[in-house]
Amino acid sequence: MTMGAMTAASAVREMPAHGRNTYDPAAVRADFPILSRTVYNRPLCFLDNGASAQKPQSVLDAIQHSYASEYANVHRGAHFLSGAATEAYEGVREKVAALLNAPEPETVVFTKSVTEAINLVACSWAEANLSAGDEIVITQMEHHANIVPWQLLRDRKGVVLKVARVEDDGRFDLERFAELLTGRTRLVSVTHVSNVLGTVVPVAEVTRLAKAAGACVLIDGAQGVVHQPVDVQAIGCDFYAFTGHKLYGPTGIGVLYGTAERLASMPPWQGGGDMIETVSFEKTVYAEPPLRFEAGTPPFVQAIGLGAAIDYVRALGMEAIGAHEHALCHHAMGALREIPGVRPIGEAPDKAAIVSFVVDGLHSMDVGAILDRQGVAVRVGHHCAQPLMARMGIESTVRASMALYNTTEEIDALAAGIRHAQKLLA
Amino acid sequence: MDLSAYEDYAETLEALDDEMRFEYLLDIAKKKRREPFPEEAMDEAHLMHGCMSRVWILHDIDEDRHYFRGHSDAAIVKGLVTMMTDSFSGLTTAELAQITLDHVRRLNLGALTTQRQVGMMAMLKHLQKLAGARPGFPSGPGAA
Repeated sequence: MTMGAMTAASAVREMPAHGRNTYDPAAVRADFPILSRTVYNRPLCFLDNGASAQKPQSVLDAIQHSYASEYANVHRGAHFLSGAATEAYEGVREKVAALLNAPEPETVVFTKSVTEAINLVACSWAEANLSAGDEIVITQMEHHANIVPWQLLRDRKGVVLKVARVEDDGRFDLERFAELLTGRTRLVSVTHVSNVLGTVVPVAEVTRLAKAAGACVLIDGAQGVVHQPVDVQAIGCDFYAFTGHKLYGPTGIGVLYGTAERLASMPPWQGGGDMIETVSFEKTVYAEPPLRFEAGTPPFVQAIGLGAAIDYVRALGMEAIGAHEHALCHHAMGALREIPGVRPIGEAPDKAAIVSFVVDGLHSMDVGAILDRQGVAVRVGHHCAQPLMARMGIESTVRASMALYNTTEEIDALAAGIRHAQKLLA
Repeated sequence: MDLSAYEDYAETLEALDDEMRFEYLLDIAKKKRREPFPEEAMDEAHLMHGCMSRVWILHDIDEDRHYFRGHSDAAIVKGLVTMMTDSFSGLTTAELAQITLDHVRRLNLGALTTQRQVGMMAMLKHLQKLAGARPGFPSGPGAA
């Protein structure tokens, strides 16, 4: 882990306090072993980070160190290794709290993913607090993970699901959203950044409006926490969820931030070990949050890996990462607009480094397959956002999603690959 | 059993390098585009589910032999579907049941992209289901 901090630091050592002009992608890339490999004898140009990002050596080292030198189950052992593992695991709560500017580590619940975090809120808070006729507001650009749990709840409880419109250019319209809020609105659950359009939702304003209507607010930060600094206290939301693997950490570890008040009021949603104070056949007393929501042996090695990932991005600085990616996004949009027959999907003014597009006359899958042969990894399809595809009148897009290690040369390779696909498939 | 169409494809693919295999696949798709697929068969009943692109398969039986035609809205998949339907048309139910995933592996399209090979394997199972050559699975259009 010390090594990891050093590699990250090596990438930023020339940076002044704010570092915006000296961000060095070449130094950053050296921290990610997989980026030096080739595919089909071509350099790997990895632009599928929105699906899952690659891991720096420091994260791999932290996982290896955990299994090799500090491994034992957490929270229960009366021995050295269990203590060490518990300390490392609980220490990650502090790192997450610092990343999100959460007031205290106890507001950080570990889950396996954003999907699980949202289902936790649906099965615990919403199950206990919502009844027939209560309204939940989402948007047209939600990932299925922020749609289906509410539909399941609708089927169980008879709640009403209302959907805020997205404009043709992918913009989120705050006024239209506000029109959906009523005295029955109990929950507003919105994405921070659209995984297809890249649109950055003004979540602080959304929260302010939702709170004024008396609603609870959940932010799906799967793409949000990756591209910019996040301050849950400034946003004012009740819940904020993100996942480790998109933030350069391992798979199988996610986070649900919840305000202390909300978490304290919520019943458990899964029962088992670790989430209890005392158990008898007559009565079980549940643990305080966050452990109340972490039944069973938690994915603590993955959490430790996430801790290393957080160390890594914080050493680079979320501001600096955001600025670098913003420049890449600008370059990508310019490059795409120059190619005849290419139509970007999602051109909101406030946009994170996620670029979707369609190519006239070509199926996204064909474009993706030909890009793949050029060594350019993108995602194609509906991106788990079929209602958004329907809203935009398309079936699928090609999506290039950028990360802190991508370069303008890779964007140029993407553009050249698209032109090649057009030629090949003409 | 007559697998001459399959053998032709397999031998051609074996002789090509990866890059040329890819172009060969596109050529098959482009040629096939000139043979229209019935518009009315591009419906839910003929759709093969679980693909990233849409794939429709038409199944006919003539004197106990199964004949397939396929279509996709993606060119590369169209090439793959064509290869599969050409290869395994004209077989009896018992013959179709003998076609295994090794036949698909021999085409070595996994070297192009592993996702394509997985798709091809799903396609084989789909053809077998349509023909009732996959015991334990319901047959007929839309049963996949």
